[in-house]
Amino acid sequence: MPEAVAGNGGYMIAAYIVTAVILIGYSLLLVRRTRKGTSRQEKHI
Amino acid sequence: MTLAQRGRWITIGALVLLAGIYVRALRFTPVELTQGPAQKIFYLHVPAAWSAMLSMGLVGLASILFLIMKDARLDRFAAASAEVGTVFCCVMLTTGPLWARPIWGTWWTWDARLTLTLMLFFLFIGYQVLRGAVTDPALRANYAAVVGICGLILLPFIHLSVYLFRTLHPMPIVLKPSAPSLPPEMLVTLLLSFGVFTLLYVGFVMQRYALGEGENDA
Repeated sequence: MPEAVAGNGGYMIAAYIVTAVILIGYSLLLVRRTRKGTSRQEKHI
Repeated sequence: MTLAQRGRWITIGALVLLAGIYVRALRFTPVELTQGPAQKIFYLHVPAAWSAMLSMGLVGLASILFLIMKDARLDRFAAASAEVGTVFCCVMLTTGPLWARPIWGTWWTWDARLTLTLMLFFLFIGYQVLRGAVTDPALRANYAAVVGICGLILLPFIHLSVYLFRTLHPMPIVLKPSAPSLPPEMLVTLLLSFGVFTLLYVGFVMQRYALGEGENDA
């Protein structure tokens, strides 16, 4: 008889969502900071 | 094209490839029989740990070179790598407990590997707090370099902790002297994920480095 696979998919989904949120969030933060920095430099000029 | 723009395109490419890793890991990689679906957290947790270690390793190397050569670009690179490393450390420290809970029955345990990894996270945070606290650029760079070197020294202890101490954490299955102990489909997914996380590191660091350049020019 085949062994039953543990039903813990919720933890897997949570981990995949958390990873996506952190990595996409940081990407957006970098874009925002770059734009802010560029506009500050333009004002400075 | 500026460094920031090149970094942004690399990041976008890496995020698209990461979506591909999600599809491959969730849809086309077999479920491990003993651990069930939670084992698939492995394809994010291990590459995130690799990127965090790579970040701190390069912070340490750049710090050593900075103390010898006194080149401000090395300090700027170390600062960029440390910030990016903190992000990967966050991924590692959130996916780890989410994997541990169903497999070990606990979110966290104070064993050697986990405790040393938490120390790495605090070193990343400390590095940035220090940079924010010291206003003199030369002093800031020197102090930060010392913390970066401490981080570099910590890395071999983290990797070898599973051999040196009794721990719940599994032994390395890829970065070890013998051949990787994984079925081919799982190994390919893991190696692809390593590649994508490394590319993400490169994209993030290029953007963050360019940001540091701008801050210095202003």
